[in-house]
Amino acid sequence: MKSPKQRFGVLEYLIFTALIAVIFCLCVCVGSVNIPLGKTLSVFQNALSSLVRQYLFHQPALSPAETVSSILLTVRFPRVLCVALTGASLSLAGAAMQGLLKNPLADGSTLGVSSGAALGAVTAIAFGIAFPSLPFAGTMVMAVLFAFLSLLIILGLALKLDRTLSSHTVILIGVIYSMFVSSLMSIVITFAADRVQQITFWTMGSLQGKGYKDALILFAALLLFGGMILLHARELNAFAVGEENARHVGVNVRRVKLVLLIAVSGLIGVCVSIGGTIGFVGLITPHLLRMLTGPDHRRLLPACLFGGAGFLMLSDLAARILLRPRELNIGIITSLAGAVMFVLIFYRTRRGRSC
Amino acid sequence: MKQSVKRTRTLAAILTAAMLWALCACGGDAGQNPAEGAPSSVSEQENGAGQTSSVTVTDMMGREVTLEEPATRVVALTASDCEILYAIGAGDTLVGRGTYCDYPAQVSEVPVVDSGSETNLEQILALEPQVLLMSTMSQTEEQAKQLEEAGVHVVISDAQDIEGVYTAIEMIGTLMGKQEEAAGVIQSMKDTFSQIQEKSSGDGSQTIYFEVSPLEWGLWAAGNNTFMNEIAEMMGLKNCFGDLDGWASVSEEQVLERNPDYILTITTYSGEGPLPEEEIMARPGWENVTAVKNGAILNLQNNELSRPAPRLAEGAKMLYDFVYGEE
Repeated sequence: MKSPKQRFGVLEYLIFTALIAVIFCLCVCVGSVNIPLGKTLSVFQNALSSLVRQYLFHQPALSPAETVSSILLTVRFPRVLCVALTGASLSLAGAAMQGLLKNPLADGSTLGVSSGAALGAVTAIAFGIAFPSLPFAGTMVMAVLFAFLSLLIILGLALKLDRTLSSHTVILIGVIYSMFVSSLMSIVITFAADRVQQITFWTMGSLQGKGYKDALILFAALLLFGGMILLHARELNAFAVGEENARHVGVNVRRVKLVLLIAVSGLIGVCVSIGGTIGFVGLITPHLLRMLTGPDHRRLLPACLFGGAGFLMLSDLAARILLRPRELNIGIITSLAGAVMFVLIFYRTRRGRSC
Repeated sequence: MKQSVKRTRTLAAILTAAMLWALCACGGDAGQNPAEGAPSSVSEQENGAGQTSSVTVTDMMGREVTLEEPATRVVALTASDCEILYAIGAGDTLVGRGTYCDYPAQVSEVPVVDSGSETNLEQILALEPQVLLMSTMSQTEEQAKQLEEAGVHVVISDAQDIEGVYTAIEMIGTLMGKQEEAAGVIQSMKDTFSQIQEKSSGDGSQTIYFEVSPLEWGLWAAGNNTFMNEIAEMMGLKNCFGDLDGWASVSEEQVLERNPDYILTITTYSGEGPLPEEEIMARPGWENVTAVKNGAILNLQNNELSRPAPRLAEGAKMLYDFVYGEE
C-alpha cells in the first residue's frame, strides 16, 4: 500500500470541485416544481447577460418577469447556495471538534452546542433582543455567544469528571446538556407563547425562504471561522496524537484550543441562527471522508468542506422532492440518516477497541 | 449503545413535540379522524310528566351521555366549544376552559386548565364540573374513563366540516337546555352561507392560497378537508392546494408556480415589523404572483376560518367581501 499523501493535492481539489459542481447543478435543476432543463439553462443565461449588462455597461437590471425565473433565481438558487455553505461549515466544525477532543462522536448536535446556539437564538426572538440597524444580528450574536458558552460548560464539566475527555463522558454530558437546554427552551416558550411557531422552527431546522443575503453571511462566516480552522490543520494533527504530544512539538495548546473553540462556536452559531439546528452533518461527513482521506487533517478538513456541502445539498434535495408538493424539514432527513450512521460508527469504534 | 438509544429518544421526543404542535395548530380540522360523520342523532328524553328534565345526547364519537338535567357547570377544553357555549348564551355555565380558548374576550376571566397533551384531570375535577367538553385530540380513553368514574360526563365534539359544526352546536345546545338558541345560531350560519353561495359569481377559475404558516416559520397551506377549502368552494374559488389533505407544509416554489389570484393568511401579527400581508408582498420572487401584483392579500388573524365554531360564517363573509367587494 502506498503511504497516504499528506496534502490535499490539486487533482483532488479538481475532482471534489467537479463533484460538488455536479451536485449543485442537480440541486438547482431538480426541485419541487419541474422545470425543463432547457428552460433552466436559458433562465440562467439571461440572468448572466443581465448581470453583465448591469455591471459592465451600467444598464438597468431587468427584474425577472416570469414565474420560472423567480423560482430559479430568487428561491431555488440562493437556497441551494445556503445549504451548501451550511453543510460545509457544519462539517468542518464537526471535524475540528473530533480532532480537538480526540473523540469520534463529537459534533455540534451530539455535544449540545447546536441546542445551546438555538437557545440563544430563541432567547433573542422571545425577548426581542436586537441591534438596531442590523435586523437579524440579534439572533446571530446570541446564537454564537450561547454556542461558545455551551462548549465551555460541556467541556468544563467533562474535564471535572474525566481528565481524559473520553467519548462516553463527553457525549453523556452533551446529551444531558441538550435535555437541560430543551427544558430551558420550554421555559422561554412559556414566556413567549405567541412565538411558539417561530421557536419550534429553530428546533427543526430548515433553509426554506433563505436568500442571497443569508448566503453572503454564511460565506463570510465560513471564510473567517473556517479559515481559522483550516490554518490549524497541523496543530489538530498534533492534538489527535495527544495533548502532551502537541505541547512537545511546540504547539501553544491553550491558544490553539481557544482559537478552535471560538471558530467552531462561530460556525455553528451562524449556521443555527440562519437555518435552525440541523443535526448530524458534522458527525457523518468527517467520518465518511476519513475513510477516504485518512486521518491527516490537512487532507481531511478541505475534503470536509466539499463533502459536507454535497451531503447537505442532497439531503435538502430529498427534503424538497420526496413528498412533492409538500416539503420536509431538512433536519428530519439528516437526523434519519445520521441516527443510523451514529449507531454504526459507535458500533465499529467499540468493536475496534475490544480487539 | 446506551447513548444512541438516548439520542434516538431525544429525537423521538422532538419529533413528537413537533407533531403535537402541528396537530394543535390545526385547531381540529386536520381531517384525520375516522369518526367523521359520526351519528348526529341528538335526542331528548322526556319523563312521564312530560317535563324535560333528563337530557341524552349522542356525542360525536357515538357515545351516549345522559344527564339528569341540563348542565350548569361545564369545563370546555377546546376554543371552538367555548365559542359555541357563548354563542348559544351559555357562557355563564363555563367554570373552566382550555389554554387556547381566547374568544369572546370575557372567556379570559374563566379559570384556565391545561389542555392538549398536558390535560390534567386533577385540575378539572377540582372545578367540580358536570360536563367536560373536549375534542378527540385532547383526550385519551383512560382519561375519559377516569373522569366518568369521578362523576364527570365527558362529551366529545369533533367537527371536521361545516355540517359537523352544526351537529356540535345542536349537541351542546341540547346538553345545556338551549335548543332554541342553538337552532338560531345554526340558522344564521346557514343563512350567511347560502347568501354567499347565491351571490358568488366565481366559477372555479380563480384560485386562492390559504397560508396557515408564513415563510419565516416554514410555509404551511390549508388543503382539502379544511373549513377554508369548504368555504372557498362555496364562493366558487379553487383552493390551489386542494390536492393536499388537511394542513400541509408546502414548497415555496409550488406557491409561485400555482400562482394564486388571492392569498388569505391567518398569521397573527406579532406587533412589530411588517404586517403579515406586507411581509408577503415583500417576499423576493413573489412579485410575479397574481395576488401579490394586485395586492389581493387578506389577513384574518383571529382564527375565524380555522375553528369549528359559529364565527366561520363571519370569516366566510369577510373573505366574500374581500373577493367580491362589499355591498
